[in-house]
Amino acid sequence: MVTKEKNKKLAYSFYLGCVIPNRYPMIEEATRNVLNEFGVDLIEMNGATCCPAPGVFRSFDIPTWETIGARNITIAENNGKNILTMCNGCYGTLLEVNHQLKTDPIKRKFVNTQLKKINREFKGTIKVEHIIEVLYYDIGLETIKEHALKKLGLKCAIHYGCHLLKPAEIRPWGGETEDPKFFDELVEAIGCESVEYKDKQMCCGAGGGLRSAVKEASLDFTRHKLEMIREAGADCIVLACPFCHLQFDLGQMEVNNIFREQIGEPFEIPVFYYTQLLGLSMGLTPDQCGLVKHHNMKGVPPFISQEKALRKVYDVLGYDYDNV
Amino acid sequence: MKENDEIKIGVYVCSCGINIAGVIDVNELVEFAKTLPHVAIARNYKFFCSDNGQSMIKKDIKDGLVNRVVVAACSPRMHEPTFRNAIEEAGLNPFLFAQANIREHASWVNMKDPEGASRVAKDHIRMIVAKVSKLEPLERPKVKVEPKSLVIGAGIAGMNAALDLANQGFDVYLVEKEPTIGGHMAQLDKTFPTMDCSSCILTPKMVDVSRNPKIHLMAYSEVDKVDGYVGNFDVTIRQKAKYVDADKCTGCGACAEECPVTVPNEFDMNLSYRKAIYVPFPQAVPNIYTIDMNHCIKCGICASPNVCEPGAIDYDQKDKFIDIKVGTIIVATGYDPYNPSQLKEYGYGKYDNVITGMEMERLLSSTGPTLGKPVRPSDLKAPHSIAFIQCVGSRNFRPGMHSYCSRVCCMYAMKQARQYKEKHPDSQIYIFYIDIRAFGKGYEEFYEVTSREYGIMFIRGRLAEIMEDKETKNLIIRAEDTLLQRPIELTVDMVVLSIGLEARKDSDNIARLLSIQKTADGFFMEAHPKLRPVDTLTDGIFLAGVAQGPKDIPDTVAQAKGAASSASILMAKGEVAIEPYYSEVNEALCAGCKACQSMCPFGAISFDERKKVAVINRAKCKGCGTCAATCPTGAISQNHFKTEQIEAEIMALLKYGGTY
Repeated sequence: MVTKEKNKKLAYSFYLGCVIPNRYPMIEEATRNVLNEFGVDLIEMNGATCCPAPGVFRSFDIPTWETIGARNITIAENNGKNILTMCNGCYGTLLEVNHQLKTDPIKRKFVNTQLKKINREFKGTIKVEHIIEVLYYDIGLETIKEHALKKLGLKCAIHYGCHLLKPAEIRPWGGETEDPKFFDELVEAIGCESVEYKDKQMCCGAGGGLRSAVKEASLDFTRHKLEMIREAGADCIVLACPFCHLQFDLGQMEVNNIFREQIGEPFEIPVFYYTQLLGLSMGLTPDQCGLVKHHNMKGVPPFISQEKALRKVYDVLGYDYDNV
Repeated sequence: MKENDEIKIGVYVCSCGINIAGVIDVNELVEFAKTLPHVAIARNYKFFCSDNGQSMIKKDIKDGLVNRVVVAACSPRMHEPTFRNAIEEAGLNPFLFAQANIREHASWVNMKDPEGASRVAKDHIRMIVAKVSKLEPLERPKVKVEPKSLVIGAGIAGMNAALDLANQGFDVYLVEKEPTIGGHMAQLDKTFPTMDCSSCILTPKMVDVSRNPKIHLMAYSEVDKVDGYVGNFDVTIRQKAKYVDADKCTGCGACAEECPVTVPNEFDMNLSYRKAIYVPFPQAVPNIYTIDMNHCIKCGICASPNVCEPGAIDYDQKDKFIDIKVGTIIVATGYDPYNPSQLKEYGYGKYDNVITGMEMERLLSSTGPTLGKPVRPSDLKAPHSIAFIQCVGSRNFRPGMHSYCSRVCCMYAMKQARQYKEKHPDSQIYIFYIDIRAFGKGYEEFYEVTSREYGIMFIRGRLAEIMEDKETKNLIIRAEDTLLQRPIELTVDMVVLSIGLEARKDSDNIARLLSIQKTADGFFMEAHPKLRPVDTLTDGIFLAGVAQGPKDIPDTVAQAKGAASSASILMAKGEVAIEPYYSEVNEALCAGCKACQSMCPFGAISFDERKKVAVINRAKCKGCGTCAATCPTGAISQNHFKTEQIEAEIMALLKYGGTY
């Protein structure tokens, strides 16, 4: 796969979603810079809206969810390039809508009747890809190893996130949902250790509208995961979804509040998006990787200090943490 | 029928109850049929396949009213043989008949469009009438059936089939790829629901097989090549080198005692060791040692005269190829136990104390690695609590797993749970199930007793995941108790995965060798799922046991006896009529290009070097018509499907502007 694609210039319709532009623009920064290093072209999707969120919208009205999703897909179809998304939720929606409309003529007819009113048509000509899929398959693990020259030496607790894996039939991971390894391989490629922890495949707690509907139940998931991650002795959490990111970052503060008595020592586990660490390993500056030094600005992410993990990494990379 | 006889076709339109008449106006079809060329008579009846219906057709033939017959009814797959027999009884050549399928092809598929259905039915009748007017009388050639049988696989199915055939006086070649016969049943400890000891009922059979003068036992052998056709199969058997002279070996075992190489023992599911020179288990038949050359270091110890007194060791032995001729073949190749390492959430292969049902069976066996006292692998102590997990790899619709029920796991898990509970009354046993399938004779009663009197906890719910406590190596299991509708988490000492059965890894190879088919589940396909469960679609080849689909021992034995009976019918008759659909070569037209020879999938075409023409073996020819279509000079024609016959059909359709 790698060698076959190597000579071909990769280009994608770059889908931002909602959480990244609104909450974690640093993820976009890091991803753009990393993909630029690999010579990947990113084409903007002008007029793109919310995907819309798979938990909330789909639970209420599937045809609406499909129609809005299809509208976003048509923008990429006009670009003629596959969609690249950095968010598991957007991946879930766009991938599944794309699959449904490609295989179900009745749904497609309905959606196209709606889209016709705004002079659009779903044609079914493109694929929807996740950034992890693009890195692992299109760019290729071997190419990443060639570029990731600096070994970061962190102990990472990897969180895959639900929509990246399930339902397995239409995802590119060979049907594996219970013990996948591709993300671990990507993390090991940048010289980090993927630590085993209990309930690694458990939901972060945010998905399915749970965070909005019953926050305490949602945070109870997060608390459990954080306890398991702390027990495993991880330096940081690495993930590839801004909503999981939000739940582990902002949610970590909330857990420290709500479950204060239960958890003992408050949690302080830094959270990184994969491309941020990949960028560092490829020699990009912390700035290019969207790593904010003064994290403790009120109400601005990241909410949990990344200092401990970053000091460890900067020692390896030869940066001075206090003067970057 | 003389050639100058006038063609008089009778068209019999069947109502098939309401299957056809409920949608199509059959009387209109009768009137339509009467307008077609050569049609002398057209009639309707409720069920032409019934005795009365057949008699109507026969009477018309006997009265001289018709000399060719069209029945417009169901699929010819259903009743072509019925009507052929009927008209043959009336004195007409059975090949002057054809069936128009106006049920599956017209009324059933166009149930909501009677007008369209009627139009399609008319097209079919018109085409078949045109074809029948061109048909020629054919004779079914008869071929001799060699009164010998080949049985592939010597498990409980193969052994039973072989014994039944041998006891009827037929020679049987019983081929087994392992060094011993007995199959998986030899690995079992006790058998449900009667709890008889498996070896106690199996080993006498094995001895019977080895002593029967009509059974030619070929252990450690595989079928290499199969040629020929029903009644006359030419088979090459590859007898793998054992590196031990079978005539000299006395089975004393001195060699194995001295052999310095230890290898995991497959017979014990790799839970114990054997030597590089070995017999799989003490009661093996034949009791001849085999050197496993993948592990042998050729140190020469076993070959020394002090060790092997008869001098049976022969490092230079080569595979031997033996050609045999048989009339029938029975496939009894059995199954592979499902490998659960693909189900990552259960951690088989990763956690020490997660084992399979087959491994548990060896642990429970008095001849097994722990002499019948099960221990858990991590610390070799008897577990206090065990969870049995049902439907592992079965009834699972995830990619790579099996959607079918393996039919034995519920029973063997309950049996194993009982056996352990009898030995350790204080132990705590859980069985996680979807639903308990105890369907055989005496099985429900077994379930009743197991669930009520043994204190075994039955929990309805498929296990979600297993985790290991790193220090104690105990297992934390999670599931939903679907009866209480709540998630549960338990810690147990050991987990037994009740793995199902799957088709042999090399079953594709067997299917190719024998030209037999497989169903989507990977097992071999029977000719009809209900009425011909032991036949294959290749004449003369039969199925027995799990090779055809998962089944327990009683069903396996029953099917083996059925297969033996079907094979013996052919051999007792001594000859078999084959379908006359073979192709024929017009030697005057044949250019000798051999194109047909390379296309024939059945190897039925040879080349006459003297006359420079293709020659077709009628018995091998399956009537697929590939050669006729390939022949560039039109020298080959296929009986019953001659160009003019097919053309007549097409023209009849086109001339009147068919509906297609």
